[in-house]
Amino acid sequence: MSNPRFCDGFRRRDVLKVGVLGGLGLNLVDYLRMAKAATVGSDPAANDGTGNKPKAKAAIYIRLGGGPTHMDTFDLKPEAPAEYRGQLKPIKTNVAGMEISEQMPLLAKCADKFTILRGVSHTLAAHELGSKYLLTGNRPLPSLEFPAIGSVVAKELQSPDDLPPYVAIPNSYQGPGYLGLPYGAFSTNTTPRMGQKFSVRGISLQEGMTIDQVSRREKLLASVDTTFRKIEERSDVLAGLDEFSEQAYAMISSSRARQAFDIGKEPESIVQRFGDGETNQGALLACRLIEAGARFVTIQTGKWDMHEGIYTRLEKEIPALDRSLSALLTTLEERGLLETTAIMVSGEFGRTPKINQRGGRDHWPRAMFCLMAGGGMKTGQVIGSSDELGQGPAGDAIAPDDVAYSLFHALGINPHKEYHTNTGRPVMISREGKLIEPLFA
Amino acid sequence: MKRIILASFLIGGLSLPADAAEVLRPANQRFASTATAEVPDLQRHVLPLMGRLGCNGRACHGSFQGQGGFRLSLFGYDFKMDHEALTAGEHPRVDPKKPVESLILAKPTGTDDDHGGGHRLDVGSWQYRILLRWIEAGAAPVDEATSAKFDRLEVTPREIVFAKTGEKAQLKAICHWSDGTAEDVTPLCRFQTSDEAVAKVDATGRITVVGKGDTHIVAFYDNGVVPVSVMLPVSDKNGENYPTVPTPTKVDELVVAKLRKLGVVPAEVCSDSEFLRRASLDITGTLPTAEEVETFLADKSPKKRVRKIDELLERPAYAAWWATKFCDTWGNAESQLKNIGPRDTLVPEQWYNWVERRVAENMHYDDLVEGVVLATGRSSPDQSFDEYCTEMRSYFCSKPTADYADRETMPWYWMRRNMKKSNEKALSFSYAFLGVRLQCAECHKHPFDQWSQYDFQHFTAFFDRVTTGYPEKDREKMRAMMVSLKLDGKKIGQKAKDDILRAAVDKGMNVPFDEVYIARSERTREKDKSKNDKGKRVDASRVITPKVLGGDELVDASYDDPRQPLMDWLRQKDNPYFARALVNRVWAHYFNVGIVEPPDDMNLANAPSNAALLGWLADEFIAHDYDLKWLHRTITTSRTYQLSWKTNATNEFDLRNFSHAVPRRLPAEVVLDAVMTATAGADELAKRSNDPAELCAIGMSKGYTRRGAGGNYALSVFGKPKRETPCDCERSNEPSLLQTVYLRNDEEMFDLIERNDGWLKHATKGMKRPNDSALKARDDRIDQLASRVKQTDEKFDKNKDNRHRAKLDDERRRIKSELAKLEAERKSEADAQAAATTKAADLVRQAYLRTFSRQPSEKELARADEYLAQSPDLASGLRDLLWALMNSKEFVVNH
Repeated sequence: MSNPRFCDGFRRRDVLKVGVLGGLGLNLVDYLRMAKAATVGSDPAANDGTGNKPKAKAAIYIRLGGGPTHMDTFDLKPEAPAEYRGQLKPIKTNVAGMEISEQMPLLAKCADKFTILRGVSHTLAAHELGSKYLLTGNRPLPSLEFPAIGSVVAKELQSPDDLPPYVAIPNSYQGPGYLGLPYGAFSTNTTPRMGQKFSVRGISLQEGMTIDQVSRREKLLASVDTTFRKIEERSDVLAGLDEFSEQAYAMISSSRARQAFDIGKEPESIVQRFGDGETNQGALLACRLIEAGARFVTIQTGKWDMHEGIYTRLEKEIPALDRSLSALLTTLEERGLLETTAIMVSGEFGRTPKINQRGGRDHWPRAMFCLMAGGGMKTGQVIGSSDELGQGPAGDAIAPDDVAYSLFHALGINPHKEYHTNTGRPVMISREGKLIEPLFA
Repeated sequence: MKRIILASFLIGGLSLPADAAEVLRPANQRFASTATAEVPDLQRHVLPLMGRLGCNGRACHGSFQGQGGFRLSLFGYDFKMDHEALTAGEHPRVDPKKPVESLILAKPTGTDDDHGGGHRLDVGSWQYRILLRWIEAGAAPVDEATSAKFDRLEVTPREIVFAKTGEKAQLKAICHWSDGTAEDVTPLCRFQTSDEAVAKVDATGRITVVGKGDTHIVAFYDNGVVPVSVMLPVSDKNGENYPTVPTPTKVDELVVAKLRKLGVVPAEVCSDSEFLRRASLDITGTLPTAEEVETFLADKSPKKRVRKIDELLERPAYAAWWATKFCDTWGNAESQLKNIGPRDTLVPEQWYNWVERRVAENMHYDDLVEGVVLATGRSSPDQSFDEYCTEMRSYFCSKPTADYADRETMPWYWMRRNMKKSNEKALSFSYAFLGVRLQCAECHKHPFDQWSQYDFQHFTAFFDRVTTGYPEKDREKMRAMMVSLKLDGKKIGQKAKDDILRAAVDKGMNVPFDEVYIARSERTREKDKSKNDKGKRVDASRVITPKVLGGDELVDASYDDPRQPLMDWLRQKDNPYFARALVNRVWAHYFNVGIVEPPDDMNLANAPSNAALLGWLADEFIAHDYDLKWLHRTITTSRTYQLSWKTNATNEFDLRNFSHAVPRRLPAEVVLDAVMTATAGADELAKRSNDPAELCAIGMSKGYTRRGAGGNYALSVFGKPKRETPCDCERSNEPSLLQTVYLRNDEEMFDLIERNDGWLKHATKGMKRPNDSALKARDDRIDQLASRVKQTDEKFDKNKDNRHRAKLDDERRRIKSELAKLEAERKSEADAQAAATTKAADLVRQAYLRTFSRQPSEKELARADEYLAQSPDLASGLRDLLWALMNSKEFVVNH
């Protein structure tokens, strides 16, 4: 009954409710009910009150875990001394003046469909902190865990009942932070690979189970689970469990989720287009999920931490990335989804411009690259630049905050919107970010 | 050591009524007239007034970027900075030459209409006059050396119980200063309600009660924060009209004393099966077994609940579960304990085992904490670096020859990667052992507590010398060891280095281990330095002296270990936080909410819902020498803990006064263990209960703590804390879609239900009904044989040929024997089926006992029977039933 106040006059009870649900004064159950009745959550295509008319309704984030070398992929320095420029040469793309690595011939043919951000820069050279920074769009703090970008999107944008709004392939490096468990990613736990059977935990029917059996069992559950009937309305926990139970049943029993995850439904030509690599079929799965109505898909890879023998390893990784990214862009476009799907590609940092004694490159947050595509963003351009040796930004740096800010902007989510954490602390979705204007020129 | 006085914590609570004659009249009276000659004071009048007007709020001039080129310290209390902001800079906000034109007057009054914050002040008002008079008199700063210090704020009345909505009451606030002066500061206070649905308060301190329930009105002035308890009974059953409610324990007395004022009648006592389930889950993190439930229900002793509590507290699962809880609060995070020793995966286990052993032995809480707070790497002050490395080797070699839990102290707490800096240590320490969140005060005055940045910095100073790494005097030895390992000066990856170190340790060679040690004090160091650099003067004021939170006196920094006075302070009987933080956290574990809620936010404005209860528990806990089992027993044997979740008309909305049980989702580890227990066979159950620390999720089971991206999937989905952030909120007991999907449809769940050594497989063994077509074939065969017997009989009768008759007789015998065999088979199966039906009822009961920890009702039995009858076979029917039970709310909540 007593509800102590917190920073800025928020009461604990508000915090418990609003902290999760942002300013609506609703508890979780109300929220879920209203979400179902389609009365909360921003309409993806709506105006967010800032004059922004967003085109993106969903987003894909491809995380190149480990920190991909900028010097050998999207920010080559052919004029730099050999120990900097490395072994790979730049090639021309279908956009005049925009050059990328020679190992990316496919992307070179569709460079008009993405934008390279160069001279993205920060100072956190450890994987964990760098990843948190890029994945949340906020510089990590010891006292506060920020939510992954996907969790914010899952919270802000409405999605179909029978599909998880936020899917991670195979999992997400960053959790929902202060937004709380309900906004965590649905993890597939495995990544689909060519020629291998792929199933996702929780989505598929148990082997040997038919829909009839599932619905018969469901009736049994309803008849067993009656003890708290009288007090369910008044308990957040009980009512929440009921709501999620209904949603889980919808997801398991409807075909939408199963179809979306059933990558075997794709024609062979499309499967071949994406090719085989750590994440290539994962990108195809992302495509299917977005098509089915998912709001955010993260693809997580981890092969880019190349402290030694970098060129042997790049020989494998760059072409795989070239194939999966170009296939993703092409396929989304063919399906009419590129304009409404914002794509971000990044690692947690770049790599040392100077090649080390072991033929590798080490962590280098001062200069890195990000790619942005789709979602109504202006593509076929390079924004920002690094200095002559690729050591730091030349001119104004782009901060990771700005990249996330711009992604939110593309999705019609107001990055200045304020949440209250479960300790009552007010926090904006993006604390320091600013818009990368050329993306929306 | 010097006695640390805790004066400022006692603000309000114990203050004596002020002598009216000495109290200065309120500022709104004194400054009502233009004739006043009084000069207002920056600290006492000007800044409180500006705080009340909202000038230093986060959205206004308190913002770190300032607002309109004017920045005040956020929530005040940096008098120097605020004075400078007002009087100095390019555009001073005050103009002593033309006081009336000062911006702080022109802006908020709208004279200068360019004020983003709008109209805040009327020209000619008493507030206006305070600002004006201060400027006219020269806008003097606060002389911190000579001016009187804030002593205490006294707010009356302390508690108000209203009778009906719409009633009003006036608060009065008197501030006492260290020079003995006192002033009625009611008009200079900020007032705030903790629940607008119960009571509102206006700027003058006038309270209006608007709804039933209880809350606090908090008064803020200078460094004083005083909550006043405000209630409107929720029913007419209060005071004299309150029904007789049994209060067998002191806890019950204190809880009911509050409920009586509120007109809230507690729920009935819960049933025996609810009690057993609740107490087992809370105390041991483990579901009772089916057998245990049956035994307990059959026990007719009136003392069986108390006996069960004592029994539960002796189980290994109690120690396993509460060690995990301590590891949560103290931050035993795998991710933060990397690169310690050549086998860093062992570190979280060593930490856990160290705690678990002591919880099992019921070590006194203060001693347990001391083993962490005063921990150093070396086992004794005279242990040499070599001896230290030898000792560490015994814990880290492939087959450890010593038990880490034998160590007197456990330094890993200080070795975490997110504890490197003093401020991080201070935040973690105050969170873990004091239940106080200092985060706000790191950057600005705490908005709802007494802490200023000054307090934070002086508290942080305790930790400046707590260092991890290699002590200066041993670095040579460390380098020598590296040389002998051929690891010196070489650039080598962490993995390769670990391989070499591991190999060395396993061969019995010493390798260097970094350690927690106390660096020499800055003062000593500076002194040494000044001896060397003659002529250079040392600026001693640069070094901040430690000061405990809320204490008046600085602690001499010359202790060998500055943590010693800190530990002494924790142990002081009048420490305002140490015991309270622990009893409140334990209480919160049992009641869903703390007496102070959230339990790790013991700030002055966050008043306890039952101060008498918290005070009594903390005092008695100290009086019982911090005996943890005493605390658990005292709470769980109370009637209050054993109330039902079934509410009545008076208590259905109560969530803070413990008038009924609140259904709460089981913690992550407990859910997983409950699934294991509900589905396990007898052998496994016995093993698990003997060694929960090793085998269960509530302990340190390898199956649940494996390293890698997210660790165990189910545990992370159910919100097991990563222990990376100092906040109780890291553990989440919220429901989510993924949890439901996991319990309903994850392969892991199906595998557990149907595992070969599990209960279901065992219970339904040999109870598989043959398939229908086989049965039909046999029935047909029996019919066919029967008719052939008949035909043969007829043929036999008709046939006169003896040779033929003998042949027919043989045939008839053969057919009959086959028939008899098949019929016997059919009958025995029918008998077995009948027996199975009887057994099925028993299995249904078992399934309920295993999951809901209670007997099914007649209706539930009948429903389950019906389902089983319609299922293809008993095993699949029972499987579905077990699945449905584990997906019910009654399973996944503690109630």
